[in-house]
Amino acid sequence: MTEQDKPVSEPEESAPEGATDETAQAEAPASVRPARRAPPHEEEAPPEVLNPRGQTTLGLLMQVADPYVIAHGGRDDIPWIETRAQRLTEVARRCRDHRDLDLKMLHCLLVVDYIEHLQAVYVLLSPVKGTRAILKVNVPADEPKVPSLTGLWAATDWYEREMHELFGMEFEGHPNLSPLILYEGFEGYPGLKSFPFNDYEEF
Amino acid sequence: MALDNNPQDAPLFVPGSWDRPKAGKFIDAPEQGGTSTGRGNRPAANLLQRGVPGVITGKLDELAALARKNSLWTLTFGLACCAIEMMSTHMSHHDLDRFGIVTWPSPRQSDVMIVAGTVVKKMADPIRLLYEQMPDPKWVIAMGSCATNGGPYYRSYSVVMGVDHIIPVDVYVPGCPPRPEALMDGLIKLQEKIQRDAKEGPNAEPPIIAQAEVPQEDLVEPDSTDNAGEDDGTGQAS
Amino acid sequence: MTTHPELETVDMMLNMGPQHPSTHGVFRMVLWIDGERIVDMEPHIGYLHRGSEKLCEGERYGQVVTLFDRLDYVSNFNNEQVFCRAVERLMDIEVPERAMYIRTILCELNRVASHLLFLGTYALDAGAMTPVLYAFRERERIQNLYEAVSGARMMHNFIRIGGIKEEVPADFVPRVRQLLGELRRGVEECDNLLTFNEVFLARTRGVGVIDADTAVSYGLTGPCLRASGLAYDVRKDHPYEIYPNVSFTVPVGEYGDCWDRYWVRVQEAYQSLNIVEQCLDQMTEGPIMPQMRRIARPPKGEVYVHGENPRGDIGVYLVSDGTDKPYRLKVRPPSYCNLTALRHMMKDAFIADAVVILGSLDIVLGEVDR
Repeated sequence: MTEQDKPVSEPEESAPEGATDETAQAEAPASVRPARRAPPHEEEAPPEVLNPRGQTTLGLLMQVADPYVIAHGGRDDIPWIETRAQRLTEVARRCRDHRDLDLKMLHCLLVVDYIEHLQAVYVLLSPVKGTRAILKVNVPADEPKVPSLTGLWAATDWYEREMHELFGMEFEGHPNLSPLILYEGFEGYPGLKSFPFNDYEEF
Repeated sequence: MALDNNPQDAPLFVPGSWDRPKAGKFIDAPEQGGTSTGRGNRPAANLLQRGVPGVITGKLDELAALARKNSLWTLTFGLACCAIEMMSTHMSHHDLDRFGIVTWPSPRQSDVMIVAGTVVKKMADPIRLLYEQMPDPKWVIAMGSCATNGGPYYRSYSVVMGVDHIIPVDVYVPGCPPRPEALMDGLIKLQEKIQRDAKEGPNAEPPIIAQAEVPQEDLVEPDSTDNAGEDDGTGQAS
Repeated sequence: MTTHPELETVDMMLNMGPQHPSTHGVFRMVLWIDGERIVDMEPHIGYLHRGSEKLCEGERYGQVVTLFDRLDYVSNFNNEQVFCRAVERLMDIEVPERAMYIRTILCELNRVASHLLFLGTYALDAGAMTPVLYAFRERERIQNLYEAVSGARMMHNFIRIGGIKEEVPADFVPRVRQLLGELRRGVEECDNLLTFNEVFLARTRGVGVIDADTAVSYGLTGPCLRASGLAYDVRKDHPYEIYPNVSFTVPVGEYGDCWDRYWVRVQEAYQSLNIVEQCLDQMTEGPIMPQMRRIARPPKGEVYVHGENPRGDIGVYLVSDGTDKPYRLKVRPPSYCNLTALRHMMKDAFIADAVVILGSLDIVLGEVDR
């Protein structure tokens, strides 16, 4: 296995939050001003359910998204579930607001082109509890439409604009899907597999 | 280095100092018949020394070029990775100020545009606009592989294959990114070009590829169909 | 205020960039200002969109490292590391310990170099000319070391899938130790020049404030998030490579203003030097590359790996179809997310603070646009 599994006996396994911070705080050199507000890790009781292995995070995810899970899986400590586009907003909202999952940050949003279908991938993360999870939605390639999540995470705005521009994915309900990074008059969706690489060209 | 009245008294080239001679070209010790060829600033020094004190002979163009080349103001224009090396070149260690080269944030008062980084199609129009805003005479240095020919991004859908598709380029500095020394060499080459253009007329030479390290025989000859017969054999162009 | 329609004031539109010395590259923003106040702003990016993610699909895994070098061109080693970790995770490669220590030393020194660059340019943004000269003097020392190790000052291509390219020079350890001493003095000198300077405090204190909840919602990571009081650091929360073996503090700000963001970065530079010192003490002899095929062919599957960049949390989502080229590769650029919060920070700020707020985010456009 890889580096995540190596320090098995280290504090990571037993207490993923808090413990490492406390030891580090004690050894802080004199030149460093102590944190003026205690990090949130230390204020709260250690979470009961989550560990870095992923089973319980996955279990929680399954529980949260119960009737809408199509498939699930996971590698190391980042589990993923697949859901339907119609239910995406509901599942995402539950993930965000769940007390133990606490996925308050949209870490990454991307689209993968699997030729016959497009897959929107939402990587969610909790900076406080340390949970990580991935939501996947498959949509047909000829009608790529998913609901916009701009109401849930502010970070969604640019991600959705970019993915709309590069992959032609429609995000229903996004206030402004104007081009973000490509120049005016660009034709096609360069992220798709059908878009060729360039040869030499005069500008 | 001061302007020496007697060239024989001038300090000789010291091995290990900043300019490394090619093997066999320079002789180090004076008793072995050493020369002073390794030193910098000779053309300017000679020009001032040869004439009667207080009188400088030469065409007005050359005089203007002398002034121009010694106070090149570069446009502060960092596009991508090369901008960091361009900043390093301007900063304390490499210190371009000693060549009279300072950065200037506005195109209206700049002489040289160093295109440092990848030129993408969205940026092409602003670059062209900036170039047109610069007053004449103006020069352009394409710094790095991306500005020269697209570099590692030549297969991308949004990258212009070299800034010379948009604006004329005087000196190409290859490298990804070029070292500060390479950029300095490019600027010195540009100074030489300015002086030479004043003497021989502009466009006597194809653009310069500045690369200090590569021996002359390793450089690829340019396509000589365009300017056959105009090559004066100075060895600068390649 | 006025009741006469003909006396109504109209917001003035002000364009900044893409060529502007304070935009740290080719970033353009359009500001609408009412007198001295910024009413609204609209960022425009894409002036350096090189299509790296698409290009990665056409390169072999080993070659992709070179493109990662050029994403965030101020912290090259960190980028190489996160990509190599992603491939290693997918292929279940065990990296030799010595290689991990060398990687960490180089990455942490790169963090110092990046924060020094930030310190210098941020001082320029705030109107102080001197610190940038000192910062670049120190940066040059780090780059000299990199040149001795990898042969390049910036684009190293040194961290390879499975380990590192080659053994470091024989005098690596004493040289880094000497460098650490010089850097401590150097960073402290820059720190003393700027941190509690009265003018600098007046320019940055209480400017561009963002609270922790909003920062999380915008996806801010790295020093920008920690300045808001949330001690989220991937090296602590999801430790990778040898970070469990070293002890360091995560500096945390309080108010989430520009000065806090600056302060967090400076303290992080000191912490990185501590990490490097511990790595030098713990480092042992050993192999630097595992036994593996020369051309990496990860099995089918996908993986998400993230790590701590000087700018924040860089993530790589890698989809492999079993061939020697990635099927899809998405980079989660920290600067990109940090930049989304710019509009929130700039609302109702003074026009003179626009540059200070932008500078405090420490964006690198190569990473924002990719």
